[in-house]
Order: sequence, then structure tokens, then C-alpha cells
Amino acid sequence: MQTMPQPTRRAVLGGAAAVAATAVGALAVDTVLAAPAAAAPAAVTDLVCADPIAHLLRRATYGPTPAALAEAARLGVAGWLDRQLDPAAIPDGELDALLTRLPLAGAGITTVRAKLPVHSYEAFGQLGRATVARAIWSNRQLFETVAAFWSNHLHVTAPSSGVWDSRSDYDTSVIRAFTFGRFADMLKASARHPAMLTYLDNRTSTKKQPNENYARELMELHTVGMIYSEADVKAAARLLTGLTVGSTGLYTYSAAKHATGTVSILGFSHPNATAEGGEAAALAFLDHLATHPATAERIATKLCVRFVADEAPASLVTRLAKVYLDNGTAVAPVLRALFTSPEFAASVGRKVRTPFEDLAATVRALGLGPETSGTAGLDALYNALVNAGNAPFRWAPPNGFPDIAAAWSSPSAFLLRCNTHLNLATGWYPKQLTRPADMLKALVPVLPPTYGGLVDALAVRLTGTRLPADHVAAVLSVAGKLPTSSLTAKDTSVTGSLPYLVALVLDSPTFQLR
Amino acid sequence: MTATTCGCDEIKTLTRRGVLGRGLAAGAAGALAGLVGEGLSTQLAFAAGAYTGDTLVVLSLRGGFDGLSAIAPIGDADYYRARPSIALPKSQVIGGNAMFGLHPALAPLLPLWNNGSLAAVHAVGQPNPTRSHFAAMEEMERAAAGTSVRSGWLDRMLGLTGATGPLAGVSLGSAMPARLLAGPTTDVSMATVDSFTVAGESAKRPMTAALRRMYQSAPELLAAPALAADSALTATASVRATAYTPANGAVYPKTPLGTALRDVARLIKAKAGLVAAAVDSGDWDMHEGLGTAVKGQRMYDNLAETATALAAFAADLGPDGMANVTLVTVSEFGRRVAENASKGVDHGHGNAMLLMGGGVRGGTVYANWPGLAPGALVDGDLAATTDYRAVIGEILQKRCGLGSLADVFPGVTPASFGLATAR
Repeated sequence: MQTMPQPTRRAVLGGAAAVAATAVGALAVDTVLAAPAAAAPAAVTDLVCADPIAHLLRRATYGPTPAALAEAARLGVAGWLDRQLDPAAIPDGELDALLTRLPLAGAGITTVRAKLPVHSYEAFGQLGRATVARAIWSNRQLFETVAAFWSNHLHVTAPSSGVWDSRSDYDTSVIRAFTFGRFADMLKASARHPAMLTYLDNRTSTKKQPNENYARELMELHTVGMIYSEADVKAAARLLTGLTVGSTGLYTYSAAKHATGTVSILGFSHPNATAEGGEAAALAFLDHLATHPATAERIATKLCVRFVADEAPASLVTRLAKVYLDNGTAVAPVLRALFTSPEFAASVGRKVRTPFEDLAATVRALGLGPETSGTAGLDALYNALVNAGNAPFRWAPPNGFPDIAAAWSSPSAFLLRCNTHLNLATGWYPKQLTRPADMLKALVPVLPPTYGGLVDALAVRLTGTRLPADHVAAVLSVAGKLPTSSLTAKDTSVTGSLPYLVALVLDSPTFQLR
Repeated sequence: MTATTCGCDEIKTLTRRGVLGRGLAAGAAGALAGLVGEGLSTQLAFAAGAYTGDTLVVLSLRGGFDGLSAIAPIGDADYYRARPSIALPKSQVIGGNAMFGLHPALAPLLPLWNNGSLAAVHAVGQPNPTRSHFAAMEEMERAAAGTSVRSGWLDRMLGLTGATGPLAGVSLGSAMPARLLAGPTTDVSMATVDSFTVAGESAKRPMTAALRRMYQSAPELLAAPALAADSALTATASVRATAYTPANGAVYPKTPLGTALRDVARLIKAKAGLVAAAVDSGDWDMHEGLGTAVKGQRMYDNLAETATALAAFAADLGPDGMANVTLVTVSEFGRRVAENASKGVDHGHGNAMLLMGGGVRGGTVYANWPGLAPGALVDGDLAATTDYRAVIGEILQKRCGLGSLADVFPGVTPASFGLATAR
């Protein structure tokens, strides 16, 4: 494998910057363009609202809402982070009521085994739907975005064979239990959880013929990255033997399966002298991995890719890695440092919404609420994400969903996004979600005198800023109107056009950016 | 052997290559869309360009295909020593020769093997092996070891053919872009042909035109897929307008691979200008419970599902259609020769590829077989005596009209197995 030369990357990015410099004044909505503009491509920074609070909420939540923006403006960045980092203090009653319809989403292994037939997909289904619901409707938005980060980092595909009974518990007792905690604790919890031990086959590993799957991915994906050797894989696989699953489906350590003998892996040495001491030796190895500088750099990089930019700023990665190590692998201080960094402030418009984030942000922006009973609407949202390849936990390989724009940027993905926007704006599908009684009034309380003004108001409400003039004209073409077309209360056609105008505002490049 | 040939960590590599590859793609797609504009013809013929070679279909078997199960080295006694519980017994093979036996789950493909349009190549692999799925897949798709090339090899192949139509390069089965096609040549990913539509489109509500207009002045990363979607919508409109019935009684399995190959056949028959197609099949990472060669076992069922889909594809196109199609399978690595305690096999290296098409000289296994004796193995793996790119290179020259391979597979000499006839 070839290491990519740094200068080439810069050259490409520099090219993008050059394009940005030639962009026309994209926010000059006063200039009416009746014909399609042959304008130079707009720059991402000109397309989105640069306000620091709006920027923070686009990144640290699943999409701004008027209420969330007002609250964050009142608290300020530091105050908002303080509040969000103490999720237990944030009421979430409405969501909790919805989640009672999905009782197996967080259920323990024994409960799932008691309630479901073997290999049932029911718990997977409930967990996936609960995850969609939390992303959209939880008030603990930072917690949900960070839980998704860890879930993707220590990924266990769902549905996948063998974890039908343990995947919900993994979400509760590994991911969510340590979402704002220490990574070392989460890593050790994952290593002693039946879901991980099953997913990466450690449960059937033996001292005679170790199974290398978990050992390799533990180093490559969960911790240090590709600095390991094949000898490290073999040694780690031996050290991890014995971490397995018992007949009741719960974790157990089997000394009889453990391979003893001195190990030396990536700076970790242990006599590993007794079978009885094998679990303690394995846990010491996990602590070593969690606090390895390469792990610190990797997690800092991934957090930057998640929250700052597809190209993680090197200066910020270095600082966050130090914060991570200085705080004993605790993530909360790392998050504070990230969201208050100049690199974060300078990254406005540098991330593109994944299909999952796009759907969640759409529902939040439109003010759609959970259905009053049942889960048919939630099923539909989940299934839309299945089609987009981005339903929670469904990424098949153990490396988790990619987190960069290029991995999701395709013609098909674009059309799916647009189709979801129209389905939600019209209420065609799903029909069950709670909708504002009058969508026009809910989005635009005071009717502007022109159609151009209407699209401006819709865009500010849905995306946080007005669209460039040529995009406003494009939106209005679906209603056969010009920006200057007058709009009065007597205009009955606006009701029929509204869902299409809303959908096109959500289809805009502006809304794709977060 | 170590996995540390890459000096960077995996995530950075993915990020960097992805961004660069798509960035280049964005530029080219933007330029193309600017040229074709709004008055795009609904005729499909324009898309075909001057290309007269085979449609190349690349089937990626994700997770590490066990070529030692599919095309089992039954004449190698060390195979049975290494895999006491999961080796394919000689008594169960359904074709092949004294050295290599076809797995019984490949039965749907046996007629193609027997009529000479299906072949296998064994002991193939990458030149710089790694046992990391992710590094191995990325390098397999880049296919340019030892260079700073960043695009996918299928994109480079398309570029050389000069085919520039909106459907020249298509990945089917996923809404996500295919890394094989990443690079300056335009390509389209479609989950399915039928779902590739714009909701709400009507004469009264011209959504497609509105979207086109909005994205003509969007940042390139966002504009490229939107404008490629626009071109592909036009180009596939007539294909979608007619419900598709496979020919010759072909029945595709209702699996992701079956559905994707059905759409590939549909585009081929529509003469939509398809030059290269990328499709995937997953779940080959059998560390545990690979199983014996009977129905209900993991390897058996996966092979059977794949063989059924491939056989339906060949039947649907018929001999005349297959005369202009070559399908190749690739996988990021083969698997360890010896089984593990879980009756599975860990990540390995040397592997088998399948080749299917009217121009394939089939019914045989091509290989420079290194043997499975302990001394012949490389760190427990089947040695790869043939670069997988050399195999594809022979196809590209004989079936796809390419001359020098330097711009597709730098530094690779095509195989001289004679595994295909020249067009």
C-alpha cells in the first residue's frame, strides 16, 4: 500500500479553494435572476449560516430546531456543552413514552432470550427503530451523537447472525453506559460482552487453534490502527483466548480455553503464566491498548472527522490526543476541547450530512412529532434508511459506516435524499407522524408579499439562512413562479405548492451541509 | 509477512483516497454535465460511444472468498491434512480434474463450465498482501501497488475505452458509490434501476428540472452526483418505462446479487452504453463454521446463492448476449490453508477467481500451482503465483480492446494463460 503524498492532497484542496474564490456573491438575494444562472459554483462557506451557535448545533446535534437554537443562544457554547454533558439532568419524557413501545431496544440478554424465539430479528428491529427515534426526538442530542460515534467505532453489525439476543444489551451496557465515560472502560466492557465476542468469533477461539478475527480488529479498528505485525495478531489472539460466552448466553471466562505463555505485543509484556490469570492479563492488554498514543491519535482523528471536517486538522488531532491521554481516556474533556477549538470554529460548512443525518434533520426541521400510537411511522423512517444503506448498525463489515462525504456522494443517494424530503414534506410517507396543523403557518407565521420572500423565509426556518438567488429561482420553478411573483392571502395555489417548495429547499446544497 | 506495509493508519488512508478520488470525479462530472446541458437526448445510442469490446462485469466477493473451498485442490494431500473437518471430499466434487474439484454448490454453473464459458484461475493474489480486509479491499480496487495513483482501476479502464456516456460505468445494488469506479470518468451508482427516480415529478411539478437548475451552481462535491443523477435519469427513462422480464426462463434469486445482476442484464440488453459494471456479494468472512459441503452450511449456501444468480444472468443474456460479456470475480484475499478451532478459516492470501463469458476459454482451472506442502506456504497461506491484475489484464486486452495496460495496472504484465479468445 502506498502512502499518499501530502502535497497532492493540498493541491486538490487548494483547487477547491480557488473555485470558492471565484464564486459570485451567493447571498445577494436582492438580485432577481429570472433565468437559470450560469454562476460559478458557490463556496460551501457562503451557503450556510456562519453563526457559531448554528454551526455548533449543526454538528453536535441531529439538526437545529427553533427551540434548540433559542436554548443554545441563551446558554452560550460553554453553557450548552455543560448542560448536554449532563444528560441525566435533561428531561426526555416524550421520547421515553415512545420508547416504551420498543421494550426490547435496550433489554438484557436474559430478557431477550426469555421473550423471543432463538434467532429472532425482533430485538434488532426495535433497537434500530429506537436509535432513529432518539436521534430525532431526544433532547439529549450531544449524548446521541456521541453514542452513535462509539457505536460505529466498536461496531457490531445488526442484524447479524449470533447476536440476536445480545445486541440490545451491548448498546445499553457497553455503548450507552460509557458514552461520556472513559474509553478504556468501554473497550474492556466490549471485550467481555457476548455481542463482540460472537461478532468477531472470539467465543470459539481455543488455545490449540486461536481464532484471529477479534485480535486483529481490536488492534486495527478499535485501538492502535495498522501499526501491528502479524506476530502481534497471533500473540494477541492467544492472549484473548478464554474470553467467551456461556450456555446461558452470558459472558464467561473459560480458563480451560486460555493459552498461557509470555506475550509481548506493541510494548505490552506479560508473563501470562496461569490459565486462571488469563482474563486479568487480557484486561491489562486492553488498558495498554486504550492508553497507547496511537489509539489516542486515532480516536482524536475519528472525532475530528465526525465533528470538524473530513480532513482532520492535524493541530487539533495532536491537542485532542493529549487531552485524551491526560484525562485517562475520558471523552468529555476531549469533546469540550474539540467544540471550543479554533479549528472547529473555522470548519463551517465543511461536513456533508449522511443519509441518516439528512433524514433526522429533515424531521426535526419540519417539526414532525412521533406518532401517537404504534410504530408504523418509525418503521417507515427506518426502512427509508435501509434503502439508503445507512440504517443504524446495518453496515456489514466491522469498520463501521464511513464518515466522509465522498463515501456517501452518489447519484442514487442524492435522489433518495430528495425523495425522502418530498415524502416527509407532503406527508405521503409515512403518514403517521404528528404534523403541525397548518404547515405553512408553522414554518412561515407571517406571509411575505412575494414568492421570493416566501422561499427566503422557508430557507431561513429550515436551513438557517437564505439560499443564493439562483437557487431561490430554481425552487420557485416547481410552482411556476418568479421570485417577484406577488403572494397574497387569497392565493390558494400556495397550499398546493408548499410541500414542493419545502422539499426543494431541503434538497438544496445548503441543507446538505452540516 | 506483516501488515505494516502501509505507513498510515487505515482510517486516514480511506479518508484521503476517498476524498481525492471523488474530488477528481466531481470535476470531470461537473464538466461533462455542463457540456450536455438540458437538451439531453432521450436516445440511448449516444451513450455507446465507439466502444466495441465486451461489457466487463466485476463481481467483488467481500470478506475474503475461500477459493480453496470453491475450487478445491483435491489432488493435493496437504489440503486434507490442513482442513480435517471442512475440506471438500473428493467424492463430492461435481466437475474439474484430478487436481481441482468444483464445489457441489456450484451446480447451477456446471453447464457453463461444461460448455466452456466458465473458467477458474487459482493461486492468484495481490502483490503486496495484507490480511486487513480494509487495506486489502482498498488496494484491490486501486490496483496500482507501488504508485501514487488514487483512482479505481475500473475508472481507468473506462477512461481508456473513451466511453463517456452517463451509463458507461455503473455500480448496482447499493446507493453508495463504488471505489472501483472512483476517479475522473463519470459513473453512476444505482440501488436498482426501478428505484432510480425523482418523487413527485410531473409536468405541473418539474422537480427534476428544478434540481438540475439548483445544482448547476453548487459546490462541485455536491454538484457532481446531482448532475450525474440527472444525466442517468434521462438515459434510463426508456429502460424503466418497460417492466423487465428476463429471457429464456431465467429466474434470478431474490437476493441483492440476483437483483443487481438482473439490472446489469437489463442495461446490457437495452444497449444503454454499459461498458463496465460493478456488483458486490458479501458475507464471505468465514472465520467460524464454514461448514461441510451440504445445504444449510455457510459456504455451501453462499456459493449456491452466488452460482444461482450467475447462472440466471448467463441464461437471461443467452449465448448471443454472453458473447459480448465477461464477468470476473475478485476478493480482497483468500483464506488461511489450515482451519481454526471454530471450523472456519482466518484471513489468508492466495485465492481463486472465476471468469464467465462467451469469450472465456472455460471448463478448466488455470494455475501455476505452488502446492500446499508446509514448505510451500507463505506464513500459512497459499502462495499467490499469479497477480490478479494479470488475469484481468489478459481479459482487458483480449476482450475489451485495450493495448498497453500501463495506465490501468502500472507495471503489470498480462497473463499468458490463453484464458480468453481475442475478439
